[in-house]
Amino acid sequence: MIGAEAATALYAYAAVGPAGAALEGDLPVGLELIGDDEIAIVVERVSLDEFAEESLRENLNDRQWLESKARRHEEAVQALLGKTTVIPLRFGSIHHDRDAVGAFLDERRSEFRQALTSLQNRVELGVKAWLVERPAADTAAPAPTTGREYLNARRRARDDATQASGRRAEILAAVHERLLSLSEAGVLNGPQPPELSGRDEVMLMNAAYLVRIGDDRLAAEVGRLSVDEIQFELTGPWVPYNFVERVS
Amino acid sequence: MSSRDLSGARTSPTLTGGGPAPAQLADVLERVLDKGIVIAGDIQINLLDIELLTIRLRLLIASADKAREMGIDWWDGDPFLSGGRKDKSLDERLRRLESAAGLEDDEDRA
Repeated sequence: MIGAEAATALYAYAAVGPAGAALEGDLPVGLELIGDDEIAIVVERVSLDEFAEESLRENLNDRQWLESKARRHEEAVQALLGKTTVIPLRFGSIHHDRDAVGAFLDERRSEFRQALTSLQNRVELGVKAWLVERPAADTAAPAPTTGREYLNARRRARDDATQASGRRAEILAAVHERLLSLSEAGVLNGPQPPELSGRDEVMLMNAAYLVRIGDDRLAAEVGRLSVDEIQFELTGPWVPYNFVERVS
Repeated sequence: MSSRDLSGARTSPTLTGGGPAPAQLADVLERVLDKGIVIAGDIQINLLDIELLTIRLRLLIASADKAREMGIDWWDGDPFLSGGRKDKSLDERLRRLESAAGLEDDEDRA
């Protein structure tokens, strides 16, 4: 430890370019740019009390802490969306000082340059599909009066469910194909479990697509999608989180 | 501050001035923790790598029960993520039906 200097560090949120001092005005209070007119890193001074090893392990398991830091990260990368091209960095990139940030910028400059070029004027749109329970779907059949009837009913229900799930898989594959044709790239992520999504409904699809800014075709298509028991949800625009590794 | 306050962060003009819909916490966590270019930071990057990998596994891939076994349970007792949300009606309906039909475990007898 080297006195007061050791108490803070710099959290690097994103690489942006073209950069320049004019962009600083669009940053939330507390954030600054380190770099030059071509590429700069969005950073914030953070306390080592929170981000040093011993605290970090605990903090990462503290939901409120994690949520507030994740939202701050989101806010930081999102702030310059539409103003320049933003390459988000992974959560928790912590550096001792400005020199260290400058050093990794120089080291990775060609990689950032390539990503900035290929993602210029692009945003990410999220598309999620939910299975919404049809109301009173099982009240048509008479209630079983014997164990055998009950078992048969359950078997039928299971067969129906298997068929329905096959149908849904086909529908969603077709939807993904369609959305890919309206975008430059797309990825399918694992569906979020209810504990994470906060919704009772089962998530069937969790996709992200890369589109040009101003190209509304995919968003319009999602708005038109209508399938009986599947509800579609559009999120974003996001900075292209899901597409930076592709180009790096 | 409750997590519901935070969940509306996207709508605040001081934050992004961006999209009209509030960003769901799940969508933010998924992106911020799991995506983005990895930069080897000065501070405990090895620990971070490991922690982030496990968080990713726990949150996004493993089932909730599995995650609890692994010791991650921060959504338990949190109103935003679990309180008043868990719908047990299907389980209860099944139990009522089974009890009405005089069955405890139909799978074994089928």
